[in-house]
Amino acid sequence: MFNRGSQRGRRVIAISPNGPTGNGDEVEARFLAPHFESEGFPWLQIFGYIGSLLLTIAALLAVVQHILSPIGLLTVILILAVAQAALQLGIFMHLRESRGSTWHIITLGLGIVIALGLVGMSMWIMTFKSGVS
Amino acid sequence: MSSLLAQLFPPSTTRNMELSADVLIILTSAAIIYYLTRWHRWKYLWREWLTTVDHKKIGIMYLIAAVTMLFRGGVDALLLRAQLAVPNNHFLGPLHYDEIFTTHGTIMIFFMAMPLIFAMFNIAIPLMIGARDVAFPRLNAISFWLFAFAGFLFNISFVIGGSPNAGWTSYPPLTELAFNPGVGQNYYLMALIVTGIGTTATGINFLVTILRMRAPGMTLMRMPMFAWTTLVTSVLILFAFPPLTVAMVLTLFDRLFGTAFFTIGRGGMPMMYVNLFWLFGHPEVYILVLPSFGIFSEVVATFSRKKLFGYSTMVYSVLAITFLSYGTWVHHFFTMGAGAAVNVFFGLSTILIAIPTGIKIFNWIFTMWNGRIKMTVAMMWALAFIPTFVVGGATGVMLGAVPADYQFHNSYFLIAHFHNVIIGGTVFGLLSGVYYWWPKMTGRLLNERQGKWAFWLFFLGFWVTFMPQYALGFMGMTRRMYTYSHGFGWSSLNLMSTIGAFVMGAGFVVMVYNFVWSQIHGEIDVTGDPWDGRTLEWSTPSPAPEYNFARIPVVTDRDAWWAIKQDHKSNVIQIKPQEIQDIELPKSSAIPFLMGLSFFVFSVGMVFSWWWIAVVGFLGFVVCMLVGTFDYDDHKEVPRQVIQNTESALGRLQG
Amino acid sequence: MNLPVEPNATQTKLPLEFTDNHESLKILGFWSFLATDLLLFASLFAVYAVYQSRIGMAGPSPDQLFKLGPAVVETLLLLTSSFTCGLAVYEMRHGHKTGTIAWLIVTILLGIGFVTTEIREFVSYIALGDSWHHSAFLSAFFTLVGTHGAHVSFGILWAITLIIQLAGRGLTTITTRKMYMFALYWHFLDIIWVFIFTVVYLNGKI
Repeated sequence: MFNRGSQRGRRVIAISPNGPTGNGDEVEARFLAPHFESEGFPWLQIFGYIGSLLLTIAALLAVVQHILSPIGLLTVILILAVAQAALQLGIFMHLRESRGSTWHIITLGLGIVIALGLVGMSMWIMTFKSGVS
Repeated sequence: MSSLLAQLFPPSTTRNMELSADVLIILTSAAIIYYLTRWHRWKYLWREWLTTVDHKKIGIMYLIAAVTMLFRGGVDALLLRAQLAVPNNHFLGPLHYDEIFTTHGTIMIFFMAMPLIFAMFNIAIPLMIGARDVAFPRLNAISFWLFAFAGFLFNISFVIGGSPNAGWTSYPPLTELAFNPGVGQNYYLMALIVTGIGTTATGINFLVTILRMRAPGMTLMRMPMFAWTTLVTSVLILFAFPPLTVAMVLTLFDRLFGTAFFTIGRGGMPMMYVNLFWLFGHPEVYILVLPSFGIFSEVVATFSRKKLFGYSTMVYSVLAITFLSYGTWVHHFFTMGAGAAVNVFFGLSTILIAIPTGIKIFNWIFTMWNGRIKMTVAMMWALAFIPTFVVGGATGVMLGAVPADYQFHNSYFLIAHFHNVIIGGTVFGLLSGVYYWWPKMTGRLLNERQGKWAFWLFFLGFWVTFMPQYALGFMGMTRRMYTYSHGFGWSSLNLMSTIGAFVMGAGFVVMVYNFVWSQIHGEIDVTGDPWDGRTLEWSTPSPAPEYNFARIPVVTDRDAWWAIKQDHKSNVIQIKPQEIQDIELPKSSAIPFLMGLSFFVFSVGMVFSWWWIAVVGFLGFVVCMLVGTFDYDDHKEVPRQVIQNTESALGRLQG
Repeated sequence: MNLPVEPNATQTKLPLEFTDNHESLKILGFWSFLATDLLLFASLFAVYAVYQSRIGMAGPSPDQLFKLGPAVVETLLLLTSSFTCGLAVYEMRHGHKTGTIAWLIVTILLGIGFVTTEIREFVSYIALGDSWHHSAFLSAFFTLVGTHGAHVSFGILWAITLIIQLAGRGLTTITTRKMYMFALYWHFLDIIWVFIFTVVYLNGKI
């Protein structure tokens, strides 16, 4: 039987009411304590919404105004898109919430690495920049 | 009407061979229907099997399906080898030959190897980790029925509508409508899309089951090795199947709706298909072989009566293989001309994978070292695997060397290589698993003498079949070649290979005889632990009751059941009547079966471009989803009295 | 175990959707599904990235084809719906059934707005003769964006069934778990759309 409270005290949770389940909870808890959102006013959501709007407008203006070279622009708008994805994941998708170990972060992280590899490598392979082919 | 008949029965379905198959299919179906009606078995079939969500029964259904498909794929293989037995042979026509190698490859990979793997997952994993079922039992049944109906769809192609004929990889532009009219390729595409959805669901299911449903005390590093390989296989499935689905869907769009993905005239690139296909295809190789690695680890440790040697290096090498396997796919198309830098990168990553795999081989050998080895059939398959897989792996490294690959590519050397790893790795491993876990799923032991006959026939047949093919590859014989002339000097090696194939076929027949005979006359496994096993599934009775464990075991060590037996505490499996509690179990449901049926109807509509049938199938799917989401009554309670009676009948009640 | 222990902590302090262990498994399962769906979109993005310059003999280039107007409208609609969906979960966490349903209805309406705008955008391209038959680029564009649109449409249907269940059964461990999963799905689609907006529309205008 072990229960756990967060530092701030008001988000108190009991991970396994029937005692340690043995499925890694005990180990992982030290690394990443689960964290559940419960604010009195949806400040986070409002912050996330405004943030996402600002990031979108920034990307749009950068492209419409052609503020940089094409490569530079592409880099900037991709960075803005990644920032927006992080915003959605962190605020709206409650990425840190889980019961027990945060396996979903590992699964998703691996998925993102493989997705990036898939897109990047495919583009590299399909350029056919070859002297001998 | 006549145009409909021409669409349903094109000339390729009215050859003598297909017509005789029609007769056999009709007779077999009639016999089954007669049997079910005569003995009033329809209700039993529906209640106990078609609607079941019990992982043990789903595992058995996967096994039956896989053995049936091994028969179909094996007959295809024998037809191919019969055609190639002598030069200038015209036993099969060239188009007929194309159709048969296509169905042989597709069936063996997707409808034989994959379900056999899922059979092992379903039969062993929940029992091994001390769980009462998988995480999502109904989804598990949906996976099975999607696979089963996709397999059915693929298998009827050769008698209705015409068989696909572009190889198991089905590269465009050969699969484009302009070069491949008829519905054969549509069958291939729809079958793979549907079974792919089911497979992905299985991946999610076992990932969550292993991560979250282990018995108390079973930390990750205390899991049996097979649970580890199942876990990483699930992860591989999760990330490997989407590119396949995309490749299939894009080809289907090209064929049905006239898009331009792979037609060169409008800017399409057939090479993109090849890229996507192998983005799936290479991880798929490891999806096929990693479960076998897990089975070998269990079997070798059990029959050497020793702990698995180097458990943690095994775990890390499995993880390394998993990660590396995503970075090697280009080695399937080095000759496409992606350039020296690309080829060097993927050549190196390919050869790198040999390192963790080599580590595993040494670990199995050291596990046997000084062990008290018991030569059961399961152990013999595991022992046979080691030299076979080493040869297959070494030739794989040869193929991974880019300049050499330009010589070996698409020759019989390649054919020999991948049969060497897939049969020597996957099939030997899964057969080892079948012999190992058979008592657990049926309650009876397989006859060892018959099993050894099957083993020796299959094993020797394998070497006689495939070793000559390496030589044939060096001599210039290319794959998918339907006949050859006298002067090439290939005749005697090809004849030898054909003889070997028929010996393997004989091995298969003996094995099926072995299964059937043992089911009737086999020794009954009363203890539940016939091999003196090490892991938790052997602490349950054979077969395990519906709820698996009357009380969830507590794990204190890596080989949990072995540790319990060493401490002379094996009476912990006996439960006191007052300790028995009600158990909540998932309830049977017709939805998975009906959902598979809906997908089947949808697929038939897509294959023949009969849109209204496709719409009916799609609506069926929507209805199944709606009924499913509003169905809150998906669990049942097994009352403690029932459990007490069951445990008492099993002799596992204390006092 | 050196973890802080609070003896008064009870199971009820967990958010409702996590209280039942078996229901909480489904949340992990759904995250895994999202990971595989991510790979599905990654494959389509790879196809689009390779095909965006392959416009055939006379087909339009991305720059010639796209109008940013509808794309910006779609982006705003979807971002706002993501926000309202977040509010629905917020209300759910505070045990307000009506608030949850109300914000869910707003989310659905915004989603319908998104899908209609997208369909009108597609129709306007096809009216000019730029259907997906014409070039590899157009095939890749319609497939990538259309797959996302199909996901959103499915989400709308899902949300409707959810409203019926929330209204009929209230906030239970099961309905909150379903709502939580729907929110994950909806925000995930928002992330995918941000990348479509960036890689397809904005990149086409660079």
